[in-house]
Amino acid sequence: MIFLRRQMPLLITLITGLVFAAQYYVPHPASEQLLTSVTKWLQIIGGFALILGVSSLFHVHAVKIRRKEAGWGYSFVLYASMLGTIAIGLWANGKEAVDGTMTSFGWIYSYMMVPLQGTMFAILAFFIASAAYRSFRARSREAAVLLVAAIIVMMGRVPLGEYILPLSGDVSQWILNVLNASVRRAILIGVSLGTVALSFKIIFGVERSYLGGGKE
Amino acid sequence: MPIETIIGAWVATGLTLFIFSFLYKDNPLFKLAENLYVGVSVGYTIVKTYDTVIVHLIWKPIVESGEWALLIPVAIGVLMLTRYVPKAAWLSRYAFAFIVGVGSGLAIPRTISSFILKQIEDTVRPLMTLVPGEGVLFTWNLLNPASSVNVIIILIGVSSVLFYFFFSVEHTGPGKAVARTGILFLMIAFGAAFGYTVMARMSLLIGRLTDLIEFSDPSYGRPTIWLLLLTIGTMIFLSRRTHGEPPDER
Amino acid sequence: MTFAERMLKIDRRIIFLVIGLCTLLPLLYPVGLPIKISPEVRGVYDYIESLPEGSVFLLSLDFDPASKPELHPQSIALLRHAFRKNLRVIAMTLWVSGTGLADQIITQVAREMGKESGKDYVFLGWSPGGTAVIINMGQDLYGAFPADYNGRPTKGLPVLQGITNLRDVNYAISLAAGNPGVEAWYVFGKDKYKFELGGGCTGVMAPGLYPLLRSGQINGLIGGLRGAAEYESLIGQKGKAVAGMDAQSATHLAIIMLVIICNIFYLSLRKTARQQGQSRA
Repeated sequence: MIFLRRQMPLLITLITGLVFAAQYYVPHPASEQLLTSVTKWLQIIGGFALILGVSSLFHVHAVKIRRKEAGWGYSFVLYASMLGTIAIGLWANGKEAVDGTMTSFGWIYSYMMVPLQGTMFAILAFFIASAAYRSFRARSREAAVLLVAAIIVMMGRVPLGEYILPLSGDVSQWILNVLNASVRRAILIGVSLGTVALSFKIIFGVERSYLGGGKE
Repeated sequence: MPIETIIGAWVATGLTLFIFSFLYKDNPLFKLAENLYVGVSVGYTIVKTYDTVIVHLIWKPIVESGEWALLIPVAIGVLMLTRYVPKAAWLSRYAFAFIVGVGSGLAIPRTISSFILKQIEDTVRPLMTLVPGEGVLFTWNLLNPASSVNVIIILIGVSSVLFYFFFSVEHTGPGKAVARTGILFLMIAFGAAFGYTVMARMSLLIGRLTDLIEFSDPSYGRPTIWLLLLTIGTMIFLSRRTHGEPPDER
Repeated sequence: MTFAERMLKIDRRIIFLVIGLCTLLPLLYPVGLPIKISPEVRGVYDYIESLPEGSVFLLSLDFDPASKPELHPQSIALLRHAFRKNLRVIAMTLWVSGTGLADQIITQVAREMGKESGKDYVFLGWSPGGTAVIINMGQDLYGAFPADYNGRPTKGLPVLQGITNLRDVNYAISLAAGNPGVEAWYVFGKDKYKFELGGGCTGVMAPGLYPLLRSGQINGLIGGLRGAAEYESLIGQKGKAVAGMDAQSATHLAIIMLVIICNIFYLSLRKTARQQGQSRA
């Protein structure tokens, strides 16, 4: 039983991992067909993963409503809007527009979801300004360098900045294409090396945290 | 203007202003809009997932085109959902093992090729270009990212930053100079990243305000102005109510 | 508290007000300063200009309504350019919450340019799996998307004639707000299927994509609202991005002023603290 619970999943990871790592180097039609079929499967499984992610949200707010905790009225709003959207969406067959005319599902999307999501992220503009004022101080030489670079780039990327100080545009281009590119490249190489190392550890069973679920 | 567009304009403007009211103080209007946001987003995702996955990827191919092999991924997907049943949660391990195995296997050679080999290849470019007829040329133009002097700077940048993050060797002596160069490059890059983040956040605000201004047009009935007055009025009313409650003094 | 200390602890709502005004006023009273075109954006423009009529252009709108202000103008400008060049446009998205927006964008521009769905363009919609979709399209386009967004079978559509998979795409652009985005399109797409790839992205992601630009893995990069404004200027059809540039200028200057002021107060406080420390010693 232990084999089925612990060793078998690790064996599946090992086999699938090695097969698909090797697939990249095998141009035979059978290997290409294997890739096509399995990636199609991944799409369907990806859909189930979305359901998994969403159901935890259901659970948390359902508990809040049932226990009538503080703020349960808002959880009720959440539930009602979720169920309402689902009902209208299924009634419209999941389509936002039919032959150019907007459905009620499309109405919810354009006049509720887009403004809500857009504004949620738009208020960040205010917070970044107040955070910059409160904490963006030249406490050390390195912080001063960061500050100067930020100011040059902020000036150089707007028409007014380039108008007042044409050099800022050229310098910010140089900073982005040469200095920034080299640092990001180093970070990209480093992170990719880490990702590859982690993938190897997962395939060979050294790293097992992804399994989760249930007793050992 | 059709009636649903006008109602839509009023609803969109109202919800936008409710969320903006958070900037003054956290209040019930904002909490209402926040919970609506989560509810509608999740509802939309569920509808889309159902329509695409269940109807188009599973039902139609299996029932109409007879692709029975697709029952295998459906089975794997169902196994994944057993994570929520405590007694059978160990079954979900098979699903995760499959997904993670395939994902890691696919990612390894592609990541190595794209982000390691190709990036290193571009870093170690020749420092001098061979121009037919002119011989060996060393270009000094700072504004051209492909010029020889910039190739040297990029090489110094990449190596010093990689060295800075390499903690197995102590950063002393000549190592310290390299690490300090790396830190200098890093600070400039972070400064540029901050500048771009500011740019991005401001653009998001500009976009929302553009829409608000568009909806203040008389053809919609000027929702921006009226709903702004409503929001401010509601917030004054709510703050009076909490101030009016007598403090508990005994 | 000294003046400097009070200014450093100022109520943040005053800063909010300053930013709000700096954004609102230029939108109501625009000035219209000239916009310099950067080589990154020109890279995308020149490549599309060079494509012959009937070439296959894949546009992946990988963003959701949160990034609409930056990427919506980019998509409109790119689609106008592509339709003007009479390219065969394949539009799609990898982000589920962006599907409605993508559908709206392509329908709007197609109607404006008089293009017909199925004949001049196709909107494939969304499919789950992110990177799995890219690989699937690279193996077999019709397997990944058996029907377009309106339910019409993709096999047999005039616009997809002669296309079997991503190898038959002449130019692909991913407008990305995160992951899956431009990197995913390169790693799981261009690396094996060898089509030309360009990128558009939000301002937050742009600095991170410069290594790919420098190595030629992407041949152009449209970064944020500024990039969209540059592209609109290049195609000669100014829209929301150019209109927003004045507000962008004002807010950037406001932030620069705020940061400089805060540092002046901070450094003066530090100087007085050091002087007091010295006089006490």
